[in-house]
Amino acid sequence: MSTWHDLVTASLIGTERAVVPAVAIPGAPSVANADDPAAILLDRAALLTAARRAGRPPDRADPLPVCEPDPRPAVNQAAGRRLARMLSGEHSYLLTEWLTAVARRGLRPPAGSLPALLDRARRADADLRSLVAEAGGPRARWLARLNPDWDFVIAPVLTGQDAWRLGDPAQRRSYLAGLRSRDPGAARELIAASWRGAARDRAMFLSVLPDNLSLADEPLLENALADPAGDIHIRAADLLAGLPGSGFGERMATRARALLRLHQGVLRVVSQADRAHLIVEVLARTPLGTWTGDFGLTPAEVVALPAGSWAPVLLAGWSRAAVVQRDHDWVDALTRRALTGPPPGSGVEIEALRQLARRADPALGAPDAVPGSRPDTSVTIVLKFRYEMLKELDDDDGN
Amino acid sequence: MEGRWDRARVHSLATDASSLRAAQPLASGRSWPLTGGADGSAVWGECQGSAAAPYRTVVDLSGPAYQCSCPSRKFPCKHALALLLLWSDGAVAADGNPPGWAASWLASRSARASEPKPPADPAAALRRAEQREGRVASGLAELDRWLCDQVREGLAASQRHGYRHWDDIAARMIDAQAPALAERLRALAAVPHSGSGWDGRLLEEYALLRLLAAAGREQAGLPAALRDTVRSRVGFTVRQADVLASATPVKDHWYVLAWRDLDQDRIRTRRVWLRGRNTGRTALVLSFAALGQSLDDSLTVGAEIDADLAFYPAAVPLRALVAVRRDTVPGNAPAGTTIAGLLRGYAAALGQDPWLDTWPALVEVTPARAPRPCLFDAAGDALPLHPGAGESWPLFALSGGHPLTVAGEWTPRGLWPLTAWDQGGMAVPL
Repeated sequence: MSTWHDLVTASLIGTERAVVPAVAIPGAPSVANADDPAAILLDRAALLTAARRAGRPPDRADPLPVCEPDPRPAVNQAAGRRLARMLSGEHSYLLTEWLTAVARRGLRPPAGSLPALLDRARRADADLRSLVAEAGGPRARWLARLNPDWDFVIAPVLTGQDAWRLGDPAQRRSYLAGLRSRDPGAARELIAASWRGAARDRAMFLSVLPDNLSLADEPLLENALADPAGDIHIRAADLLAGLPGSGFGERMATRARALLRLHQGVLRVVSQADRAHLIVEVLARTPLGTWTGDFGLTPAEVVALPAGSWAPVLLAGWSRAAVVQRDHDWVDALTRRALTGPPPGSGVEIEALRQLARRADPALGAPDAVPGSRPDTSVTIVLKFRYEMLKELDDDDGN
Repeated sequence: MEGRWDRARVHSLATDASSLRAAQPLASGRSWPLTGGADGSAVWGECQGSAAAPYRTVVDLSGPAYQCSCPSRKFPCKHALALLLLWSDGAVAADGNPPGWAASWLASRSARASEPKPPADPAAALRRAEQREGRVASGLAELDRWLCDQVREGLAASQRHGYRHWDDIAARMIDAQAPALAERLRALAAVPHSGSGWDGRLLEEYALLRLLAAAGREQAGLPAALRDTVRSRVGFTVRQADVLASATPVKDHWYVLAWRDLDQDRIRTRRVWLRGRNTGRTALVLSFAALGQSLDDSLTVGAEIDADLAFYPAAVPLRALVAVRRDTVPGNAPAGTTIAGLLRGYAAALGQDPWLDTWPALVEVTPARAPRPCLFDAAGDALPLHPGAGESWPLFALSGGHPLTVAGEWTPRGLWPLTAWDQGGMAVPL
């Protein structure tokens, strides 16, 4: 309405200098009950404001394409609320496990949570990205076409050599992981040939090696032990420790045997005081079979051996070893011990047990699964959260 | 005396997440060399912090009200929260006599509370009311002159003015006992920086304020309902007791459509929109919380309450009090109107109250992004989303290009979406 525009212009300039434009509103009384041009302008503006607000015509819109249907049912309300909690920071490292469990059950997250999930995945690693893209399904792809921040969901799928040569880090890793499971030797040769690239690439290479790990990988990993960049030597050491028969594992076992002895049913640390940190590091890289083999005991029995004040240190070292060597029996034995034992003291112990709790069987978090569980330790809290998280996905109606 | 509070109740007192976070590590006996309580009416303690002298914290549970010697300006501070958490856990002996420093503060509070009320004096009350009417009238005249001054000098200068410019006239409206006008004026300081079209929006506000000032000065000649609207927009409040006494309560099953929290001047206002299943009426229930108080969250979006509502007198009665509340039942997703229906309803309401700039919307629409983020209905009519509401991605995610029911607030700048209903009919706050 140009009359309104004229009024705004006059008010910007000010009635000291501008003339008040006339306003014609059909059926409205003419307003001129004031002498002050400023008052007249305001009165006319008031009339027009009410008229414009009441008579506002609707706009037109360009409709969006319609999203194709997602045949998967949404998770129940309780699971949706838990997802919202994780997205706001509560145990958010469990998102990967939650999304995997949701996908395995043929479910999908609530549509309203997708923007927050996509924002989270955008800043996360390739694993979480592909999980979110899969869980989000057609609705996530539809959203990604509206918001370029989320275009990783609809990035073109490169296959074969193209993915390796031209893809982003996630696509390259995906290609390499596929090759590793089909032909472990070819993947190893590709890694060796590409080793002189960026440190980030080398870390990615190591991340696909646990699949089909064998002694044939040992030279490559021994070489990586001397790599000064980032945490590559740590990743290599963890892999070698979990590789039965590796020279590195043997060397660590020799060092560990010198530090820790079983004497008359009691574990003794043969070491000077204040070497807790060293013991954790050595135990973390020692093949766990060293202890079951040497002592002729099961993991649960080893873990239960009395060790006096060194017990928390040993627990931390074994926990790290069990996690990187992916040894389920040890994870189980250590978790049961951690649930009933005293809370960890040092930061190293806390972190080791936290990692353990993330990988332990969530069934251990069920009420009364482990008699005597202490309710307040971080291990108990994490396991209980995981147990409930997975259980409620199977509930018909989680209100 | 009621028993100890549970942790959730203590948590609800925290003014923000960070003070609660800071309180957690202090909520252990180690930090509190001295604690005590008086039989459910007060708790006190000395907290050993980083300072040499311990902080002295007292909580009057009847308020609750807080006193702490720490420099924090939060009420409750982390010490008061930690003390309450400790008490909630049963770690504070509850049968003691307060030490001197706590006793004096508690005594001063109870003295204030039991101060004899001045005897009712109808003549004095009338005199005070007349004085206020006179002050408001001269305030309205002053506002009118100020508004005309702005337009005489030209609004172009507004972008150079700081907040002071509007705070000064707002302060004069406070002196004139017209607090609602003051609040509206203070909010105007942001308009010159609200992006393209700010000049038109400022002129609208000034024009409507002059209209309000004129209506306020000539209220004797207005119809009763319009007079009530004008008086409430100037800042005369109606006491809850008077609303309950004078209004005929409206009995219905009230579906909780949406809520929105707004912070201004250290006060949080929660606006809850309700829709009556049988009457079809929309009601707005406000609750307020100053620092240290928790907001009423008994009205959950998606629930339906069997209740009697008492509406405040107004030309367009929206604001209401829950007079009687019987039962909460799970509600069914309500059906929305068309956009034409929304605009018709708003136009009719504007005919009764030209200052109305927040109107409840419940529409069947599909969100779109072009030519700007908007909602359109089956007839192809569209309305913009409010620019302040952000990208509204969850709304788009829920829709997927399909129609859905949206509740929100329609304003002259656009629709502020607050709730959408998913395919299963579940209410999702946005």
